[in-house]
Amino acid sequence: MEYSQAEILQTVRMTEMEHLDIRTVTLGLSLRDCATDSIETTAQRVREKIERTAGKLVSTVNAIGDEIGIRVANKRIAVTPVSILTEGARGNPIDLGRAIDQSAGVVGVDFVGGYSALVHKGFTRNESSFLDSIPEALSSTERLCGSVNAATTRAGINMDAVARVGRLIKDAAERTRDRGGLACAKFVCFANAVEDNPFMAGAFHGIGEPEAVLNVGVSGPGVVNHAVQHADKNMPLHELAELIKKLSFKLARAGELVGREAARRLGIPFGIIDLSLAPTPVVGDSVANIIEAMGFERAGTHGTTAALALLTDAVKKGGAMASNSVGGMSGAFIPVSEDAGMIEAAQVGALSLDKLEAWTSVCSVGIDMVAVPGSTSAETIAAIIADEMAIGVMNNKTTAVRIIPVPGREVGEMVEYGGLLGSAPIMAVNRFSSDQFIRRGGRIPAPVQSLRN
Amino acid sequence: MADQELIYRITRVIYDRLGATADENAVEQLVTELYRAIEPSIIGNGRKQSQSTTTAGSSFGETIENGSSDRIIISVFGVDHPGIVAGVAEILSEAQCSIIDINQTVVQGKFAMVIIADATRAQASVTDLKDRLRSEGEKLGVHIYAQREDLFNAMHRI
Repeated sequence: MEYSQAEILQTVRMTEMEHLDIRTVTLGLSLRDCATDSIETTAQRVREKIERTAGKLVSTVNAIGDEIGIRVANKRIAVTPVSILTEGARGNPIDLGRAIDQSAGVVGVDFVGGYSALVHKGFTRNESSFLDSIPEALSSTERLCGSVNAATTRAGINMDAVARVGRLIKDAAERTRDRGGLACAKFVCFANAVEDNPFMAGAFHGIGEPEAVLNVGVSGPGVVNHAVQHADKNMPLHELAELIKKLSFKLARAGELVGREAARRLGIPFGIIDLSLAPTPVVGDSVANIIEAMGFERAGTHGTTAALALLTDAVKKGGAMASNSVGGMSGAFIPVSEDAGMIEAAQVGALSLDKLEAWTSVCSVGIDMVAVPGSTSAETIAAIIADEMAIGVMNNKTTAVRIIPVPGREVGEMVEYGGLLGSAPIMAVNRFSSDQFIRRGGRIPAPVQSLRN
Repeated sequence: MADQELIYRITRVIYDRLGATADENAVEQLVTELYRAIEPSIIGNGRKQSQSTTTAGSSFGETIENGSSDRIIISVFGVDHPGIVAGVAEILSEAQCSIIDINQTVVQGKFAMVIIADATRAQASVTDLKDRLRSEGEKLGVHIYAQREDLFNAMHRI
């Protein structure tokens, strides 16, 4: 037989028992040709374009997944940052956001990203008012996701933007008070945002991207977890890294197969494959459990930053070998509410906000789906973001924050979002104030790229 | 046009196994049937393999190298009882899929079978075939998974 029994069994086990799936096939779509001087007309054109281009996305991708025998969990769309489309146009940008949201519903995708602004160096007049519209846009829509890029290694950190993001997160939480501040789960603040990220909530179609492109996000913490769990407890770490690398190769190859087939059938060029270990609330499909299987009592304890570094690096190496189109975030996601292992670690006090921040230095998105008390001030949230931005800017990497100050909830309580977003324990923030630092505003200059210590 | 080299190789394999005393007519018939069974996968998608190939392992040329989207790997697992192979084979036969390779074992009452099937001439779509296999699996009390061959090729071959 061309494949050994062991190879066939491994694939079947991965796809049927260890939750190996294609986490998302995301259509990146430029809407720049839809921009007019009236938001109403732009919205009409945007609707037509999304419904025309993405009409068959969901059915085609589902059919491919079924044929090949690997589930494609989510089908999504990322569009040109809406702040760019509304430059110089009369009307309310929220109307455009609603039009995009409705079109996403019509074509049947679960999320559409791109209610975004790139303001790492400063704001245009339009971007400034656009930022104010984000809380209402995200709280009055179902599928729309937004993001702000507030810092880059070349521009430094726009602290005015960071301060405003702190306030807009509070506003968005308050507007969705009855749903545990759900609107904040659809918003990400970035440093060094990537233009081809297929994962939500941070996906948008960057301005350097082509007309339309299909990006694929592969996942598979369950697969890696199983392998690490069953490896010899005394296996040296370099051998463990090798094991993870080989698995990651296989995951990436499966993703590329689906992506290229979807691209061919839809007549849209294939973009990148983003190989990120993205957990789901399903038991076993957890990044925290992988870390624990490496030899820790709980994720979040001392040594887990090193373990996460090993994990993300091995994943990247395997992915880079498997495909010459690796892009996006490509690392590991550590969203607390979406990872059963993280939730447990936070509940028993092993995992703190500080440790998540430390982990950011070695993975893609640091403070992700973290719920904090509703009483947390906008300044404290801005300060948490500023720390994350600094790690990204100084280390030349993408970092991001998705934080939810849950109105009316205090440390120790849980908030339930359901579905893929899971449930989050409310985590403690430092009780000392950062207000004066945040109120200064201005910009943290771009770092020197030599003298790196 | 028949691939003479492949026919020669098939004949040689049969004689190697059955010995030189094997009945000539029976061997000829077997060679013809085997060749017909694998012919679609050589000519499948209009990609006839080149005559210059020398090693036996690569005689299917590009089709095997990249994995074929027309081939399906069917894995069946469960508790052994009579009729599992027959049940799966019947569905494949009804769907006009030929079996290219089959490997079946029973260890301590646990049944495991892997079939590589060619769906080039299949009347039904892969999705339909999968549905039929799934319901047959429920009837037989075993798990039947059907996945396209190129998935295995992508994951296990560099």
